[in-house]
Order: sequence, then C-alpha cells, then structure tokens
Amino acid sequence: MKRALGMIAASALTLAAGAAQAADGAAAALAETALKTKTIGFLITDEVWGVYQTPEAKVECPEGLNQWGPREQFKALFPEDGTKHTLVEGQLAREAASWFPTLEPDRFPFREAQGKISYGLNLDGKVKAGDFTSPEGETGIDNQLYRAIGCIEEYRGPTGILHFLVNRYLRDFDYNRVMFEITKLDDLNNDPDVDVTIYRGRDRPLADATGNDIIPGGSQRVDARWGKKYVQKLHGKIENGVLMTEPADISLPHAIFNSIPGEDSIQGARFHLKMTSERAEGLLAGYSDIDKWYYQLMHSWSTHHQSYGQMSSPSLYKKLHQLADGYPDPKTGKNTAISSALQVKFTQVFIQHPTKEVASKDPDQKPARH
Amino acid sequence: MRLRSGLAGALVLAVLTASVASYAQSQKGRATEDYLKTPLPPGFQVINTELEGPVFATSAGMTLYTWPMKPLRNGDAGEQKGKPSCSDKKYTENAGLMSPYPAGFILPDVETRMSCVQLWPPVLAPDDAKPVDKWTVVERADGARQWAYDGFALYTSILDKTPGDVIGATNRRMIGEGGAPREPVGPKPNVPPGFVVVQTALGRLVVDAARKSVYTWDKDGPNKSNCDATCAEEWKPVIAPESAQGRGEWAVIERSPGVKQWTFRKKPLYLHVLDPEGHPASLEGSDVPGWHNVYTQTAPTAPKGFTIQDAPAGQVLADAEGRTVYTYKCSDDAPDQFACDHPDMPQAYRFAVCGGGDPARCLKTFPYVIAAKDAKSDSQIWSTMDIDPKTGHRAAPGQADALRVWAYRDRPVFTFAGDKKPGDLYGDSWGEFQGARNGFKAFWLRDDYFNNAS
Repeated sequence: MKRALGMIAASALTLAAGAAQAADGAAAALAETALKTKTIGFLITDEVWGVYQTPEAKVECPEGLNQWGPREQFKALFPEDGTKHTLVEGQLAREAASWFPTLEPDRFPFREAQGKISYGLNLDGKVKAGDFTSPEGETGIDNQLYRAIGCIEEYRGPTGILHFLVNRYLRDFDYNRVMFEITKLDDLNNDPDVDVTIYRGRDRPLADATGNDIIPGGSQRVDARWGKKYVQKLHGKIENGVLMTEPADISLPHAIFNSIPGEDSIQGARFHLKMTSERAEGLLAGYSDIDKWYYQLMHSWSTHHQSYGQMSSPSLYKKLHQLADGYPDPKTGKNTAISSALQVKFTQVFIQHPTKEVASKDPDQKPARH
Repeated sequence: MRLRSGLAGALVLAVLTASVASYAQSQKGRATEDYLKTPLPPGFQVINTELEGPVFATSAGMTLYTWPMKPLRNGDAGEQKGKPSCSDKKYTENAGLMSPYPAGFILPDVETRMSCVQLWPPVLAPDDAKPVDKWTVVERADGARQWAYDGFALYTSILDKTPGDVIGATNRRMIGEGGAPREPVGPKPNVPPGFVVVQTALGRLVVDAARKSVYTWDKDGPNKSNCDATCAEEWKPVIAPESAQGRGEWAVIERSPGVKQWTFRKKPLYLHVLDPEGHPASLEGSDVPGWHNVYTQTAPTAPKGFTIQDAPAGQVLADAEGRTVYTYKCSDDAPDQFACDHPDMPQAYRFAVCGGGDPARCLKTFPYVIAAKDAKSDSQIWSTMDIDPKTGHRAAPGQADALRVWAYRDRPVFTFAGDKKPGDLYGDSWGEFQGARNGFKAFWLRDDYFNNAS
C-alpha cells in the first residue's frame, strides 16, 4: 500500500514537472516567435485605478472611509421632519448638482487618502511636497487621484463594486479589447528602441477551462473600422524586462457598465510594465483631464450606483479640482488635470491585422438594410 | 496648408452629401410586415405602423397599449394580468420606486398633472362583449368592463392623434433602467418557427431563434441559391426542416437533393458564420458587398439634412454638420409611471439634467436640432414642431421666438455642445440612470457592441 501511494506521489510529481515544462516550453515558444517576427502583442485583462491599501485602511484613511454618499447627503439636506419639499428641490436639484458640479465649498466632509506610499510614476521628474513614494521605494510619485478616491469604498479592492465590476465588464465587453503591439523588437529584456501601437481588438479572448483566466496564445483581429480612433503609436524601450513608453496623450475605449460606450483619456500617459513573453503587468500613468474623467464616471455610474460606496460625485468633483496638479489652463492658470495611475494587466495575444482597409467597403457610410 | 485644409473640408462635405443622398430615402413603396391573422373582436383592427410594424388599434385607428408589471429598484409598477390599476387618482407625490431618492416629494406641475386614465384612456368593452382568441374582458375597480389582450388591460394614449401614431410608447429596447413603460401591442409576425423579428432603429430585423441575423445575396435568383460550396463556407444556408411548409412571403427551396433552404420574398436566406458570437442582431454581414440583412419592413429614414457618422461602437444619426443626434428619455417616479419625455409633459426633469434647472442653459448644452421653416418629412415618425424655448413646451400659434425643431416620435431631438467632431458621443447616457430614466441617449443606427440600436 505504502509502495502504491509512493508511486502515485511520484507520478503526480512527474505530471506536475511535465506541466511546468510544458508551460516553460510554451513561454519559450512565444518568446522565439516574438524575436523571429520582431513583434509581440498583448491584450488587456485587468484595469483599476491604483489605490494603495493597508490593512483596514488604517494608514491611508485613519478616520475611516468616506461616509457621505448620495443617500447620506440627501438625508441631511431633507431630514424627515414633516416638511414638504418638491421633487425639483430634492431629487432633481441633486441630479443637477451632479451633472453641473461647481467648485463652491463642500457642505459635507470628504476624507482624502493620507499616507506616504502610492502606486504611480514620477510624472514630472521632480520630488515635491505631497508626492508619494512607491511601494518599491521610488520617490516623487505623482498620483493625486489616489488622494481623491483612496478612501471611497467603491474604488478599493477586492470588494469595492467599481473595483470588481470594472474588471468583470472589461473582460465581458468586446468594446473594451484594448491591445498593444511592440514592433522592432530585438530583445524581450533589453531593447532601447521599440515601437508600441495601441489597437482595439474585436474577438472574445482565449480563456482557460474555467473561463475566468485569459491565457496567452489567443488571437485578436484589429477593429480597423469603429476602433480606428484608438489606433495610437507610441515609442519606448525595454530595460531589464520592463517596458517603458514615452509620454503621449492616449484614449482607450472603456465601457465601464451597462452598455455605455466610453473612454479613458490620459494626457502625458506612459506604460511601465514588467513583461514576459506571456504577460505584461504594471502601470499606465499620466494626467487625467478632470472633466473627461468625471463625466466618464457620471455616464457609467448613476447616483444609485454611487450610493453603494458612499461616493458623492459633486463632492468628488470639488476634491478633484482641489488636488489637480497638471495641465494648467493658459488663461486661468488653474490645473485642469490630475496625476493618476491605472494598474493594468495584459496577456500575450497574436494580433491579426486586416488585409485591406475595412472601412473603405462602405464609402457612403450607408446603413445596412434590405 | 490652407489649401490642404480646404481640400479636406471639401472632402468632408462630399462625404456628408453622399451620406445624405444614400440615407434619406422616400417612404413610398416600402414593404410592410405580414402578420398572423387571428380573430379580432368587433371594433378593432390591425394597422401597419412605420416603426413598430402591425399594431392593434381601435376602429378609429388609435393604437392599443398594455402596461405589464415591471420590477423597479424599490418595488413594482405596472399591471398584473386581469387586474387593471390605472385609475382616476391624481398622484401628487413621487413613490420612491427608484434608488436612491425617497418617496414623498411633490411632483413637478402637480396642479395640472393628469390622472392615469386621462393620459391612458381605458378601452372599455360593451356589456355584450365576448372573449375572442386572446381578447378577454376584465373588470375595473369601478366595475367598468375593459378589453384586455393576453390578460393585460388595453389602453389608448392621448398623445396619439392620427391612425398609425405610436407616440404613447415604443417597443424599441431600452438599455438601462427606464421605469415601467407602456407597450404597444400587436399581432405576431407571420414568420415560420425558428425565426424572430426584432425591433431596431433601421427596421424590423429578421433573426433566427438564436438571435443571429439572416442575410440575402444579390447574386441569387428568385427562389434559387447560387451560393456554391465555397460561398457556403462563409454563408451558411438557413436549412429548413424536411417537414417545413412555406407560408405567406416565406418558401422552401431544395438547394440540393434532400437539402431544403428557407427563402423570404423569393430570396434564399443565409447565416454569416463570421458574425461575432454574443452580438445578437448583427449588421456585420451586410458590410460584405452584395449581402444584406433582412427586414420585414424598414423604418423610415431621417429627413434630408441628417447624416450618419461613424462612432466607436457603430454608426449614429447626426445633424448636417455631423454632430451626433440625441433623444431624450424620461419616466417619472409616480405610481402610474408617466413618461416625461414629451413636450406636452413636465419639462422640469429635462431642465435639471440639461441645464441644472435653467432652460436657457439647456438651449446651450443640449440645443434642439433646428428645422428649416419649410422643412417637410415624408414619414409619420419624423416631424417638425414649434417649441417655446423658455418652457420647452409647444409654442403658442404665431409665437415670435418659437423654435422650429425636428422631432422623432413627436419628441424633439438634440445635439450636445460638448461634441466637437463627427462621431463624438460625450452627451450619450447623460442624466439619471445612465440617461435611461431622465436623460439623453445617442441616436444609434448601428451598434456592433451593445445593441443600443435595438
């Protein structure tokens, strides 16, 4: 019996070793293909705004998470004291405040993130008061968006509803198939000169048997028609297996929720991704235009949804402007953008380019009809 | 540089002109949808309408509607089968059916707010009315007898003015949380088992039971397929069962010995194997020259002057300058769930989300699509109307500052000031509950990702 168990254990070890070898073999094959073609592609699988979290948020939110969401603010404004109010004074005024936010002083407390550590990059090349230090110890990290959203429960993982729903729909919606392709690639670990082009794909991603893990080796056709505006060319380098691109203004298609086509727009954006032949993971950091960032949230995430995590959009808007640290308006001098960092993950994919210009099939833009 | 800009501008203009020429089509000679003829009680008829297809109507031509119950965030609204609840009660406060706002707030224009039966007159049945097929008679709370179809009480809408109007409500799919709307009711399309007709912005689209679009090919002959084995690798014939029988405009042909294929209006039908999985009612196959989606009837196109523009998910209707066109959606939060998206209804909802409560700001943020004074539409669903810019209601006759605007389904359409170039969508889903409850939605003609054009 003991001998039989020993044999089973040995077999299991052999199988595990075989699987590991197979995985290594697959990675090596992908690397070989990449170097042979001087090209490698990646497909986005995860994307959340970087929020550095400590246990129970004690460091970054010492007074606790934000407590004044839409319900709480509404109740404070319209207490149940028997006074009759109109819908125009109540619900409609609150919606108006969300869609036309002002920079008037906030009537409600708003807790911004404290602490010294944050995900992000040193976007301005300076080390200033108010900058963070990265978890790896790099100083001068610019991520003021973290201060604004770090104590809003919805943005915190793993249970914050925006945190987990964003990634669910990132994978569910084909609209969100952000990919990038590295070309002129000579070495996966060190290459001083690579081109990086962003595309949108149009196919379901290749997943493992659970359907949950998107795995390398899939293929994606480029959406050369509706996704034309998202084709963006960047330049970069690879150092010690980390891809770094030069700053550029980019837009990524992003439907957060409920069939709403939207996009994330980041100015001076740069990728900073630890890369293998199978995965790429790290940051996409830059300055988010406040109005675009805010309305991307508003279009996708109703007051009801904001209530799940005590997120008041009129209060958040004021805070975003208070913390804005980039792209000053030439006329007013006031900053219009806020430093930010997306935590992103990509999986290797073979990008299939169209053999001809798809859009030219329909020069009159004639809608299809019988 | 200036010359280059000028040429680019001329090119854009040429493209826009071409779009207009191909898109604005006459409504004359449009095929209409065949439907299953079932017995009707005396005093009712079926009318073919431009957008919704065949609907039941009174003898005067007024479309019939039901109000099926729908779960909302904090409760249900609508009617159960056999239990009409639309009454003469005039509600004065909201019901708090939608999150996060509580009940008990005084509704806009409360002094003039109608009762449910004033806005939705019940279709009363005479004492001697007898059930016919799915038509039955139900008893109202006041003892009156009311016609019902498939168990749901029937109503007309005071917004419908002429036969063929379906202004009261629509069967177009609403993505998002838009309250508990009424639905026009009509006979089933006369399609064989295995086919479904879905309502889209472009017309009533034929799909198979799995909601995959079917297509026809220009190179086929009448009831003859010329799609050979190579062709059939990409275009899969829609195979008819051995026992299938033709009906109405549908027929069965034998494409090869023992292999039968459906045809519609004498055109063999195919599925496009490259249509993406998970995207029902796709239009992608029609991008291939010579291949076309199949509609039982097409919807009227927008009047001359509108254009079509590419957007990140498909194509949107746009004005002459290429600015995306938006429709406004609104459903109030009273127990009787009135739509508030019509100029005859309260405008406070719209003013809140398009101007922070300020009508003048609304005119700048979401301006109306202005129509020429002599603009004409040759369809019933597109029209012009004169709007009082200060109130958002219809203007008084001869009002000097009235705006003549384009309207779709008798509701004005808008553009958004934040859109700077063709294809911009920054006004889409603007308002409560992603614009579905009280807000603006882009006028999608084709959406390859989310079916917003359905």
